[in-house]
Amino acid sequence: MSPLARYTCLETFQRLDDFVDHELSEEEQRLVQEHLATCEMCAGEYRFEASVLDQVRAKIRRIMVPSGLIARVSARLAASRDAEEPSGG
Amino acid sequence: MPNDRATPISPPVHTRPDAGTQREFEELFASVAADAYGVALRLTRNAADAEDLVQESALRAYRGFAGFERGTNFRAWLLRIITNGYFERYRVERRRPVQIDLEDAPDLYLYGRFADAGLDTRGTNPAEVLFEKLDTEQVMMAIDALPDEYRVAATLYFMQDLSYEEIAQVLDVPIGTVRSRLHRGRKLLQKALWQVALDHGLVGERQGDR
Repeated sequence: MSPLARYTCLETFQRLDDFVDHELSEEEQRLVQEHLATCEMCAGEYRFEASVLDQVRAKIRRIMVPSGLIARVSARLAASRDAEEPSGG
Repeated sequence: MPNDRATPISPPVHTRPDAGTQREFEELFASVAADAYGVALRLTRNAADAEDLVQESALRAYRGFAGFERGTNFRAWLLRIITNGYFERYRVERRRPVQIDLEDAPDLYLYGRFADAGLDTRGTNPAEVLFEKLDTEQVMMAIDALPDEYRVAATLYFMQDLSYEEIAQVLDVPIGTVRSRLHRGRKLLQKALWQVALDHGLVGERQGDR
């Protein structure tokens, strides 16, 4: 029987970006999680990296869509359709 | 490990749409218009160009709507047309407002700068002390310091919560390429953020200013 798999600090660190983005397999996600639960240094690095990403996201996200954008797009679509109507014959 | 091939997005196929098709397209477009405009604005950095890019892309998407496979990801399909349109029309040699060394992308860059400057790296949201000093424009300046391929991937990532696979679909590159651009991009972004904060006197080199 193989010993219980555990990640080292290095193995955890190499997967941190994917872990933050939930892009690891379930098994890897669990192994990283377990390491972070027992290693305060790695957990601190993880919290910091995740915090930077969250903060950037929060800063750049708020955007107001110009009023009338959808109507202006619809008007262009209609104009494009009209322009392409067969002109008879 | 995730599959390294993104599901391909069907290319636009040019046919003449009828009125029913226009309604269908408009409904889909309205559901993602905010996403489309947000990405366009972040890429072009200019409201007038962003609206032009969205309108042109919507028109192009509408004309190629027959090539859109119903039931697949319309948002990714439209964002792909928008990013292609951006690369074709708006990408110019940009003057980067923040200069960073793009060769060197160290791990945990900000974490190290925080420690050097005597800023606290603990707590549940440690980066907040930096970001409460930075405004949106300054964060955008830092993103603008990235090479375009990284900047576009980062924009899709931060604005849209797209998965690696969706970003791969939008950019039409393998997932592994998305992964490396995002990972390297965020390291470079940390350097750029610190540089912006230094340039604006928001942080000191040696000690925290709070």
